[in-house]
Amino acid sequence: MIDSLCDRAQEDNIAVAGLYCDFLSQQEQTTTNIMGAILKQLVSRGGIPDHLREAFQKGKKEFGGRAPRLADLMGMLKIVITSLSQVFICLDALDECLPGHLPEILESLRDITRESPMARIFLTGRPHIREGVQRYFSKVVVIPISPNPDDIRNYVEMRLDRDTEPEAMSNNLREDIVRVILEKISNV
Amino acid sequence: MRWLSPLEPNNRHQGVRTERFDGVGNWLLEMTEFREWRYNEGGADKAVLFCSGNPGVGKTYLR
Repeated sequence: MIDSLCDRAQEDNIAVAGLYCDFLSQQEQTTTNIMGAILKQLVSRGGIPDHLREAFQKGKKEFGGRAPRLADLMGMLKIVITSLSQVFICLDALDECLPGHLPEILESLRDITRESPMARIFLTGRPHIREGVQRYFSKVVVIPISPNPDDIRNYVEMRLDRDTEPEAMSNNLREDIVRVILEKISNV
Repeated sequence: MRWLSPLEPNNRHQGVRTERFDGVGNWLLEMTEFREWRYNEGGADKAVLFCSGNPGVGKTYLR
């Protein structure tokens, strides 16, 4: 997704940021760190005017040695987003962040969309967090994802094409493999 | 830049990009809902898209 959005971002004043939530990184994936990571990506991908870059350097000095707080980061994020014509923020596997972090993450994202109509948010997660997402974004567009048979078929056929002993596999066996895998997938 | 956040999401992204199979998830890019979201056609109301699915269905690898 991030790459698809980036394809067009090169030509226009568009920036893309994305982050994968992970059970294994729950402790450090706080709202503050996530928003900081988004800001870092938006700034480092270029397209940010020089005066904003300078504001960052200045801000860093003002904060002294301490890490920026969430409010600091949100302020900077809003400035950066307003300077762009469109911003995509992608968060994968929201269900993998700590349940205690989720409301604050969603609230911060809502803040961004309220202030910046040019912000677009792309989220993925297991179905059980849907209600939580809707609590913050009542008009969220939900797209159910299930394994796509064409995607699966293409992938399995690619793997069979690359088999190291193709002569050991008859056409019948090959067709059976594809058929059985597709049947199993339809039950997921 | 590390001052802004200790997280380095680009590392994981490189991994996903390497493992991803070309063409997977293209169907999503063609959906009306996706296009409206991407091109701001729905306005502020449609600022958020949520792809919901069980573990292993391929949410991470949507392209």
